[in-house]
Amino acid sequence: MLDELLTRPQFSIPQEEKEALLLPRLGELVEHHRDACAGYRRILDALPDGPGRGLSDLPYLPVSMFKSHLLQSIPDDEVFKVMTSSGTTGQAVSRVVLDRTTADLQARALAAVMTTVLGPRRLPMLIVDTPNVVRDRRTFSARGAGVLGMLSFGRHHTYVLDDDMAIDVGALERFAERFSGQPVLVFGFTFMVWKYFHQQIQRRGLDVDLSGAVLIHSGGWKKLQDEAVGNAEFRAGLERSTGLRRIHNFYGMVEQVGGVFLEGPDGYLHPPNFSDVIIRDPVTWAEAPDGQVGVIEVLSTLPRSYPGHVLLTEDLGVVHGAGSPVTGWAGKKLEVIGRIPRAELRGCSDTHAYASAS
Amino acid sequence: MTATPIEVGTAARVEVVLPEPANRELTPLLAEFATAPTSRPFSPEALDFCADLARTLARRARHLPEVQALAFWMRRAEVTRLAEAFAAREDDATLLVPQGTVFHVPPSNVDTLFVYSWLLAVLTGNRTVVRLSRRSSEASELLLDVLRDRLGEHPRVRDSTLMLSYGHEQSITDALSAACDLRVIWGGDGTVDAIRRSPLPPHATDVTFADRSSLAVIKAGAYAALTEEARDRLVVDFFNDAYWFDQLGCSSPRAVVWVGDEVQCAAAGADFFPRLQAQAVRKGYAVDAASAVAKLGFGYRAAVDQQITGYEFHGSALTVLSVAQFPAIGGEFCGAGTFFQYRTAELLDVVAGIGRRDQTLTHHGFDRAELRELAVALNGRGIDRMVPFGQALSFSHLWDGRDLLQTFTRRVTIGAAR
Repeated sequence: MLDELLTRPQFSIPQEEKEALLLPRLGELVEHHRDACAGYRRILDALPDGPGRGLSDLPYLPVSMFKSHLLQSIPDDEVFKVMTSSGTTGQAVSRVVLDRTTADLQARALAAVMTTVLGPRRLPMLIVDTPNVVRDRRTFSARGAGVLGMLSFGRHHTYVLDDDMAIDVGALERFAERFSGQPVLVFGFTFMVWKYFHQQIQRRGLDVDLSGAVLIHSGGWKKLQDEAVGNAEFRAGLERSTGLRRIHNFYGMVEQVGGVFLEGPDGYLHPPNFSDVIIRDPVTWAEAPDGQVGVIEVLSTLPRSYPGHVLLTEDLGVVHGAGSPVTGWAGKKLEVIGRIPRAELRGCSDTHAYASAS
Repeated sequence: MTATPIEVGTAARVEVVLPEPANRELTPLLAEFATAPTSRPFSPEALDFCADLARTLARRARHLPEVQALAFWMRRAEVTRLAEAFAAREDDATLLVPQGTVFHVPPSNVDTLFVYSWLLAVLTGNRTVVRLSRRSSEASELLLDVLRDRLGEHPRVRDSTLMLSYGHEQSITDALSAACDLRVIWGGDGTVDAIRRSPLPPHATDVTFADRSSLAVIKAGAYAALTEEARDRLVVDFFNDAYWFDQLGCSSPRAVVWVGDEVQCAAAGADFFPRLQAQAVRKGYAVDAASAVAKLGFGYRAAVDQQITGYEFHGSALTVLSVAQFPAIGGEFCGAGTFFQYRTAELLDVVAGIGRRDQTLTHHGFDRAELRELAVALNGRGIDRMVPFGQALSFSHLWDGRDLLQTFTRRVTIGAAR
């Protein structure tokens, strides 16, 4: 039986009601993981007892825990797969242990989120990437995994870039001709959509009409910061070059697959019914008031096979209040600022300098 | 004594920072440098240079405590004492001579260390090559500025000094290594591994400074007997030991070990850490978000890997992790105010927990006989220096169990016919 948080339309539950629904479920997950995961139990045993009244009182794990420790809440013979995060060579990667139940739940959850903007049917899909991003398993990357994860929401998968990141004009034209006037899905990583799609269309003066399309993009703004491109410029630019208006950024991580936050028409990222977000002040670790920048904590009722239900990320963000169910976009309004800037620490050991250089 | 520089295939270039800024091709630069003269250890020129540098730094870096400490260490009285101690090692049958060319690879993030390492090599009469980090800070900029200025007045020291800046190109490290008689590698395990990939001439040796960790021991009874003011003073000393380099200096304590009975130790810890927190607040010690997250992750990992009986968050500058077993303090560390707290009945109980990586034991409440007894029991297992609170970061030519004045020189024995 599926939880009502999954069956009710996503982004439809008023924040107060949502918190009331999440609290007992997440509280139960805390107890479940305390019983089932020795490492998690040791952490909880060491921490002082909190007041335990609201979502912000639930114990949270720093995501980096999944880089250093394999934390699982299932016996070994129930492990269905171990997902790993991206990471450049030499860097530690996160390892997230899934059983069938959690993997199924994640897939259903992701579908529930995506269908709110895509509709129930699979749409013809344009992928702003090269076909080799999913073909070559040896160089399989986070980008490849991201594309692969989205493929199930589309049909007639058409890759629009070649290996030199040049637009394959022929493929684009054939796609446009065939699905002209129909809703289509465009997917790509934020910086690739901007740099290799939008900018190239403008530079080459290509005539591209995607006014009936939905663009889903993800990956963060870091690479676009140098060009001073934020969400507003991104949206305006794409509308100019392609006519795209229905644009949804999403925010998610391998440690909480399925619980993706989706951008609403207000430009903010909204957690789905079964997820929530809390901003913490890194000086006190207390919940920061709306409007204040802090470290993003994400909560999700999905993770049963590993203790990833309440995670402190390494991203900075701001919550700008909650959306209204009337608009179809209830839930908190999150703005992701980006990764926490690296610390400039002193000390005697240069390990990192050489590790990153070699 | 002249080492021949090897040819660098790609005609590599380096930025010369000192004595005069220039972009130079490495091979001719090293050939030229190899002809610079060495000096007698503790030559009057070197002593004058030190005194001059000390005066200038003391005047120009009033606002930088770590540079003040450096200036104090090289003031004339101190260096004269060093010269006398050095002279005592020579006699009719023994002459101490420089190694030749000393190549220093200082750490990038303790701004003053390159000067300590370099000056000891200068004082002992060597030619010195220093690989400077590209990372700059107020302290390092000021140091280089003052050095450039003062070297102009001391041609002998200037001609035997070369400070370079380059990335991590191995070909350049190869050439500098091939041209030296002694290589001094600071910067911990990673740097030692990276630099060791460059071979040395057969006669040359490495002096390496690996990753180290340090701890503090306090006799709980002695702490209890202190007045309020004395406790605050002790905490100020401890704060300086720990927080000066964000608790990431190899000598900065990562653990506080209380020695005494359970009740006394619990009371001492409950009194000590709130005072430390107050001192951190007074000093305005700030922890940025990345360090705060790293501290949290470190504490949680420790909770999984070690038996943490108490996790105390005393604000962003101080986290105390009480452990039931002697804490594992080596390895990756977050710094920025994270301390293990452990209790033991007898000082000698710490022996089993100490390892080769442990460097400095800062102590309070123990007399020399007790510390000596500990050193005898340790017998080289670990710990190179025992210092009172407040002196953890005081640099000395005796470092990591080595006498650098001896390391930077060679001993010539003179046996005459009877």
